[in-house]
Amino acid sequence: MLEIQRLKAGYGDKVIVEVPQLSLGSGEHCLILGDSGSGKTTLLCTLAGLLSPVAGEITVNGQALGALRGSALDAFRGRNIGMIYQTLHMVSALTVLENVLLAQYAAGVAQDRDKAISLLERLGIADKKDDKPETLSQGQQQRVAIARAAINSPRIIVGDEPTSALDDRACETVMGLLLQLAAASKASLIIATHDQRIKGHFHQQIRVGGAQ
Amino acid sequence: MNSLRLSFAYLRHKALSTTLTVTTFAAGVAMIVVLLLVNAQLQNEFANNLKGIDLVVGAKGSPMQLILSSVFHLDLPTGNIPLQAAQQLSKHPMVQQAIPLSLGDNFQGFRIVGTTAAYPEHYQAKLRAGGRYWKKEMEAVLGAEVASRSGLKTGDTFAGSHGLTVGGEVHAQFPYTVVGVLEPTDSVLDRLVLTGMESVWYIHEHDDDQEAGAPGSSSEHHDASQTSQTGAANPDQQREITSLLISYNSPLAAAGLPRLINKTTSMQAASPAFEMARLNAFMGRGTETLGFFAWFLIALAGFGIFAGLYNAMDERRYDLALMRSFGARPGKLFALMMTESLVVALVGVALGVLTGHLLVQGIASWLASSKHIHMTGRLFLVEEAWLFPVSLAVGALAALLPAIRVYRIDIFKTLVHH
Repeated sequence: MLEIQRLKAGYGDKVIVEVPQLSLGSGEHCLILGDSGSGKTTLLCTLAGLLSPVAGEITVNGQALGALRGSALDAFRGRNIGMIYQTLHMVSALTVLENVLLAQYAAGVAQDRDKAISLLERLGIADKKDDKPETLSQGQQQRVAIARAAINSPRIIVGDEPTSALDDRACETVMGLLLQLAAASKASLIIATHDQRIKGHFHQQIRVGGAQ
Repeated sequence: MNSLRLSFAYLRHKALSTTLTVTTFAAGVAMIVVLLLVNAQLQNEFANNLKGIDLVVGAKGSPMQLILSSVFHLDLPTGNIPLQAAQQLSKHPMVQQAIPLSLGDNFQGFRIVGTTAAYPEHYQAKLRAGGRYWKKEMEAVLGAEVASRSGLKTGDTFAGSHGLTVGGEVHAQFPYTVVGVLEPTDSVLDRLVLTGMESVWYIHEHDDDQEAGAPGSSSEHHDASQTSQTGAANPDQQREITSLLISYNSPLAAAGLPRLINKTTSMQAASPAFEMARLNAFMGRGTETLGFFAWFLIALAGFGIFAGLYNAMDERRYDLALMRSFGARPGKLFALMMTESLVVALVGVALGVLTGHLLVQGIASWLASSKHIHMTGRLFLVEEAWLFPVSLAVGALAALLPAIRVYRIDIFKTLVHH
């Protein structure tokens, strides 16, 4: 599902993270561990196609990201990669349900209200679907962000510290939901975190920064 | 979810600034609509009333006043001219038609005009079924608006009152009989009461007889038919009329006839075309200024949209970068920003056109009480159609710079590195 060869990630010419090799099969999950400031986010964004790699190759679902340019890359990202940002970036002009549908609108795929509502149901926030996101708690917003990342049935779901702001119970619930959603569409989870609590769920680990 | 619904969501989200922009936009558009409608209707009214009248002859004084009083029935007459001199002029070889007018009384503010049947015929007026023109004194024909506002019909009687405005002494002992009502003509005729010149003379000659004991109590507004205190001893020599509407039978007449009249007689000749051009030159400057002001308002509203979107771009950087990261092409977001601006422009222009027409309707009902100028807000002009593409262009222009900025959003820096 995800292949990485001699990847150097960073911006401009500045290399921040290097990953010599990584191979992730369908439904396999990978954890990226590292202290804050170690370049986890830079690596995640490079994997998601938001940053061009300084060197090396990334292949997602058989497609080399380096071969895609401009709107072709946008379209590929929209359909194959789901992003959960550390800052959740809710669109405050829209309701919770519209925030989820926004990902389908942006990706240019058919909008499926039923699917969005059933996703919200599985995440336990269907009753909030017509509320504005700012009226929700941090944990509830986190779930909206998860629904938004999963709505297009992406091949990989990339999450930046999705659990670190949550208490133990919420952390366990959110992790469970993420794994459940990933399993349902055979997607791979790639989670960057310094949160040691969730290690057990992952097939592979990369440690960035310091000890390389 | 589509660009339109998303635009509405954003416009609702910042309702106050949206309302402000739409209002400014609508105000500019409404102002232009009012100018267009009022101008068109005034021009049309002037053109209808002037139709075929080449020269107006009346007492010496202001030529503009003579035209306004005799053609448009707006101002007071400049005075009277002797009937004999008028009759003499009517026989001039270059005069095709000369219509005499005698003013002096009114009925509920509508002027009673003593004339001949040539006057309504000049405006191609038609009598309603069952009516006829006057045959003897104290018979009158009502203009369409006079009839509808007074409720009088053929066979009814009414009394005129002295002077050209409401409030004069009522000639109760000399009632008129309505013998006909005119169809609407879209000219000043609609607001006049027509009668034979004999009626006007009749009233005032007998009136004067009665008032002979108190000379001077009769008013200075005896504009027509003021005979001497000796009564109707030799009427034709003493009689006067207010003015004469002349059409030439040759364009050459314009070169000589007015000069001849002004030089050799005690009367004044004024050319309506010339006086109207003069009036338009005064009024044109005013309308032009208002027009500039209206366009300035629209430009201001366009600038409001621009500032609104530009500011919103700052707040919305995250939203736009987020949509980009979810796969939205820059073109899609460009379209989104454009849609938002065009919605504002479209709502603004629609609201403005509606308000403009309501305003003109308001002006019309206010003018209606003045009984001089007829206007309506239910008129739609071709020129108004132009407001829509022009407004949309203003909207598109305002959104252009903010919309182009979406192409330069750095997703990574905006969403992560902040």
